[in-house]
Amino acid sequence: MGVELIWSLITGAALFGVGIYGALSQTNLVMIMMGVELILAGALLNLVAFWRYLHPDVAAGQMFVLIVMTVMALEMAVGFGIAIARFRSKGSVEMEEAVELKK
Amino acid sequence: MITGQAIFIGFFGMAAVWFGIVVFRTFSMVRSAIALLFSQTALGAMFLTMQAEFLGVLQIMMMATEMSIMAIFMVMFMMDPGGMGKMDMTHQKRLSLIAGFVAFVGAVAVAVFIDWGPVTETIADTAQQTEALGLELLGRSMLIFETAGVTILTAMIAATAVAIKPVPIKIKTKDEK
Repeated sequence: MGVELIWSLITGAALFGVGIYGALSQTNLVMIMMGVELILAGALLNLVAFWRYLHPDVAAGQMFVLIVMTVMALEMAVGFGIAIARFRSKGSVEMEEAVELKK
Repeated sequence: MITGQAIFIGFFGMAAVWFGIVVFRTFSMVRSAIALLFSQTALGAMFLTMQAEFLGVLQIMMMATEMSIMAIFMVMFMMDPGGMGKMDMTHQKRLSLIAGFVAFVGAVAVAVFIDWGPVTETIADTAQQTEALGLELLGRSMLIFETAGVTILTAMIAATAVAIKPVPIKIKTKDEK
């Protein structure tokens, strides 16, 4: 098996793990979004590595990558929309202060 | 065998992970956004090393824009965007660390212990790759591509609708006229 593929997958796993830590540990909405970005970055790297080293002749592999990039952009757009609405109504995007959403 | 490509992939991979960790270690939110930008750029450099030029350039261009916007939002929303007060804005740290570590170990185990089959060393040149992607987008995957476009449009309208300041509509009565 190629060293390049394994190193890419391990890097993807590390980015995924760091992203999970960030998304769970941060209290600020924008920082949580950064964690989700890192999780998606890990997935993105895995997709590119699989396409490049296992099936470079199938262009659908690149298509998957474009879809994940779209998801990253959408997550940012909708997340910032919610952040602006929250900041406007409550003056903060701290998630620990958003307990009323549970009620 | 360790090739030049493997060395560069390892180097950029370590840079991507290191800057990813820095995102959550610094007190300054602006530095966090810039660290995330560097992490994503290192990822783009990995794609370039893998000879996926189109995806690499796209990744770097998209993330540079996204992270610049993120840094601006950080300055707008944060009480202490420079991190001078060293405020701790984390919770359930232990649980998060365990969850992140378990996810990492699980994914590495899958990566290492599964036989992925024969690896292809050679790849078509950039022009041929881009041509094949273009034909894929406008051929077999057209429905998926169009769905992604419509989803982006919907998200743009939804994000604007959520973010826009609600204006109370006052209907004038006959007397007020």
